[in-house]
Amino acid sequence: MKQAIYGLVLYVFLMLPPVANLAESVMTIHMHMQMPLFVIAGMLMTPYLKQRFPTFFAKWNRNGVPGIILFMIIIMYWMLPRTMDEALTIYAIEIFKFISLPFLAGVPLRDSWIKLGKMGKNIIFVTLSLLCGFMGILYIFSPEQLCNNYLIVEQITLGWAFLFLALSIIIYFIQQFFVDKTEYE
Amino acid sequence: METTVLKESFIEKSNKKLGAKPEDARISLTYLSLAFILLLVGGTLGLIQGLNRAGLFELPAWLNYYQVLTAHGILLVVAFTTLFMTGYFYAGVSHTLGGLTSKARKFAWSALASLLVGTVMIMTTVVMGDASVMYTFYPPMQASPWFYIGLVFLALGIWLAGTGVFLNAASWKKANRGQKLPLFSFFAVGGYLLLILGSLGITAEVLMLIPWAFGWTETVNVMLSRTLFWAFGHTAVNVWYLVAVSAWYVAIPKIIGGKTFSDVLARVVVILSVILNVPGGFHHQIIDPAITQGVKFMHVFMSLSIALPSLLTAFAMFAIFERAGRKKGATGLLGWFKKLPWKDVRFLAPMIAMITFIPAGAGGIAQTNNQLNQTVHNSLWVVGHFHLTVGVTVALTFFGITYWLIPYLSKRVMTARLNKLGLIQTWLWAIGMLFMSGSMHWVGLLGSPRRTSFSTYGDNATALSWDPYLMFLGIGGTLLFIGVVLMVYIAFHLMFRAPKGHTEFPVAEEEKDAAPTPKWTERWGLWIVLAIAVISMGYVIPIVDMIVNAPPGSPGFRTW
Repeated sequence: MKQAIYGLVLYVFLMLPPVANLAESVMTIHMHMQMPLFVIAGMLMTPYLKQRFPTFFAKWNRNGVPGIILFMIIIMYWMLPRTMDEALTIYAIEIFKFISLPFLAGVPLRDSWIKLGKMGKNIIFVTLSLLCGFMGILYIFSPEQLCNNYLIVEQITLGWAFLFLALSIIIYFIQQFFVDKTEYE
Repeated sequence: METTVLKESFIEKSNKKLGAKPEDARISLTYLSLAFILLLVGGTLGLIQGLNRAGLFELPAWLNYYQVLTAHGILLVVAFTTLFMTGYFYAGVSHTLGGLTSKARKFAWSALASLLVGTVMIMTTVVMGDASVMYTFYPPMQASPWFYIGLVFLALGIWLAGTGVFLNAASWKKANRGQKLPLFSFFAVGGYLLLILGSLGITAEVLMLIPWAFGWTETVNVMLSRTLFWAFGHTAVNVWYLVAVSAWYVAIPKIIGGKTFSDVLARVVVILSVILNVPGGFHHQIIDPAITQGVKFMHVFMSLSIALPSLLTAFAMFAIFERAGRKKGATGLLGWFKKLPWKDVRFLAPMIAMITFIPAGAGGIAQTNNQLNQTVHNSLWVVGHFHLTVGVTVALTFFGITYWLIPYLSKRVMTARLNKLGLIQTWLWAIGMLFMSGSMHWVGLLGSPRRTSFSTYGDNATALSWDPYLMFLGIGGTLLFIGVVLMVYIAFHLMFRAPKGHTEFPVAEEEKDAAPTPKWTERWGLWIVLAIAVISMGYVIPIVDMIVNAPPGSPGFRTW
C-alpha cells in the first residue's frame, strides 16, 4: 500500500504541467527520464493493483508472456521519433503517454518479471540491449533531424544515452553469468 | 558446516597469535613507507610555498613557484593518498579475510610498480621544468608528453590494486558461502570501485592529451578536458574521504571500547558514495562558460547529495561515542564526552579529523553554490578548504591509522612515549592548520588569489592588507612542516625501532541484538549499473554538447 501511494505521488508529480514541460524540453530527459519514471510509477502501483484484481492478472497474464509482450510493444512505440513529436503537439497522444507508460508498460513489467523463467528474462535483456544499441546508432549517425521538436545535437545526445543504457543492460546481463548467486548467498 | 566454523576459528586464532602474514605485511609496509617518504618530500615543498606566500622566502632562480606547486599537489593529493590507501586496504583485507590470495599479492606488487613508474615519470618532468601545469594540468597549458604518460601509469596502478581487492573478496565469498563480506573489506571494495569509476574520465582525457603533447594532433578541446578532469578530481577526494570513513566505522568503536552502531548503515554509506559521487564534478567548474545553468544545477544537486551519507556518518559516530561513554558510566546529556579516551592518540587524531569535517563540509556546501562560489573562486579560500578536508580530515585520520597499523604489520608495539609524541604531533597539526587554513579562508574572502607566488602587486593597498594573514599562513605552514617531520619519524620508528610485541588490528564488533544485514547490500552488479546510469545522467548531455558545439580547439601553451 505504501508503495502504491509513492507510485501515485510520483505519477501525479510527473504529470504536473511545469514538471512535464521541463522534462519534455530536453530530448534525452524526455525519453530517458520522464518515460522511465512513468514506468516506475506504474511498477510501484502494481502490488496494490494485483491485490485488488487478483483474478484479472491470473487470467490474462498467467505465465508472464502476454504482459512482457505488451510491455515491449509499448516501449518500442515510444522509442519511435515520431511518437515523441506527436506527444508534444497532439494533446491526446500526450495523454496516451501518461496512461500507457505506467499502466500498459510498468504494471505488466513488474507482474510478468517474477513469472518469467530464466530464458524469458534473458531474451528480454538481449532484445532490449540490441534495441537500445540500434536506437543509439540511429540517433547518433542520422544526418537528418528525426524529431521536428528537437535539434540534431539533442538527437546525438539521446543516441549516446541509448548506447550507455545498452551498455548498462549488457553489463548487468553478462555479470549474471559470472556471478553464481548460490555460491555466495 | 561444522568444518567451516572450525576452519574459521582456526584462521581467527592464528591471526590473533601471529598477527599479519609476513608476505602480506611486506606489501603494506612497502606502500606505507613510500607514502611517508612522499609525505616528507611533499611537506617540504609545502613549507617552501608557505614561506614564499608569507613573503619570507624568495625562491632561487632555478626553482619555479609553479614547479613546487605542481609537485606538492601531485605528491600529496594523488600519490601519498593512493599509496596509503592501498597499503591500508590491503592490510585490512588480509586481516579480515584471513590473508591475501597469491593472485591479490601479485596484483598489489604490479600496482606498486605501475604507481612508482608513473610517479617517477611525473616527478622527473616536473623537476626538469617541463610540466609546471599544477596537479589539475588544465589544457591549453601543455606539459611534456611523458608527464601525461606517467598519469596513465598512475591510473593503471589504481586499476591493478582495485582488481586485486575485488578478486580477493570474490574468492573469500566463494569459500564462505552465505556470509557477508566483513565491513572493512566492503569498504575496500567500494573505495576501489569508486576510484576506478572516477579514473575513467581522467584516462579518457589523458589519452587525448598525449597525442596533442607529442604534436600528433594540433589542438585539444579545453572544456572537455577540464570536465573529464573533474569527473576524476571530485571523485578522488571523496574516495580519500571514504578511506578515512572506513577507519571511523571499523576501528574507532573498538579503540574507544564501543561497538559498531549499525552494520547496514555503514554499508549503505558505502553504496551511496559509489552511486552518487561521480556526477558532481561541475561544482568545481561553476564559473566555467559552455555549461548551461540547468546542467550546473544538476551537478550541484548531485554534489550536495553526498552530504546525505556524510550526515549518516556523523549521526552514527555520535551514537557510537555516546553508547561507549554511557557504558563506561557517563551520566547526563553530555557526560559521555569526558569518557572518551582523549589521551589516546589513536582516538584523538581521527577525532580531530572528524570535528574538522564539520566546518570543512559546511565550507564545501557554501562554495558549491553559484553565487557564493563567485566570491571565492580561484581565491585562497578554496586552498584553505581542501587543506581542511584532505589535509586534516583525511590526513589526520591516516595518521591515526598509522599508530596501530604499522606496529600491527611490523609486529611491534607503540610505547607511551610515542603516544605522547603522537599527541604532540596531532595538536601541532591541528593548530598549524587552524592558522594556515583559517588565514587562507579569511584572506581568500578578502580577494587574495590562489596559485600565485608572493606579490604586493606594485604595493597596491588591497594587496598589502593581505600581508598579515599571509604571515599567519607561513607560521601555520611551518608548524605543519614540524608535524610532517614528527609524523614521518613516528612512522619509521614504529616500523623499525619500537619494542617487539603484538598489536591488535582493531575491528569493531556488532551489538549483540544487531539486526542481520540484508543480502541486497552485496548486489555489486546492481550498484555498478546504477552508478553508470547516474554517471550518464550527469555527463551525457553536457559532454555531447561540448563535443558537437565545440569551438576550434586550442594549441598548447607553455606559460612558464
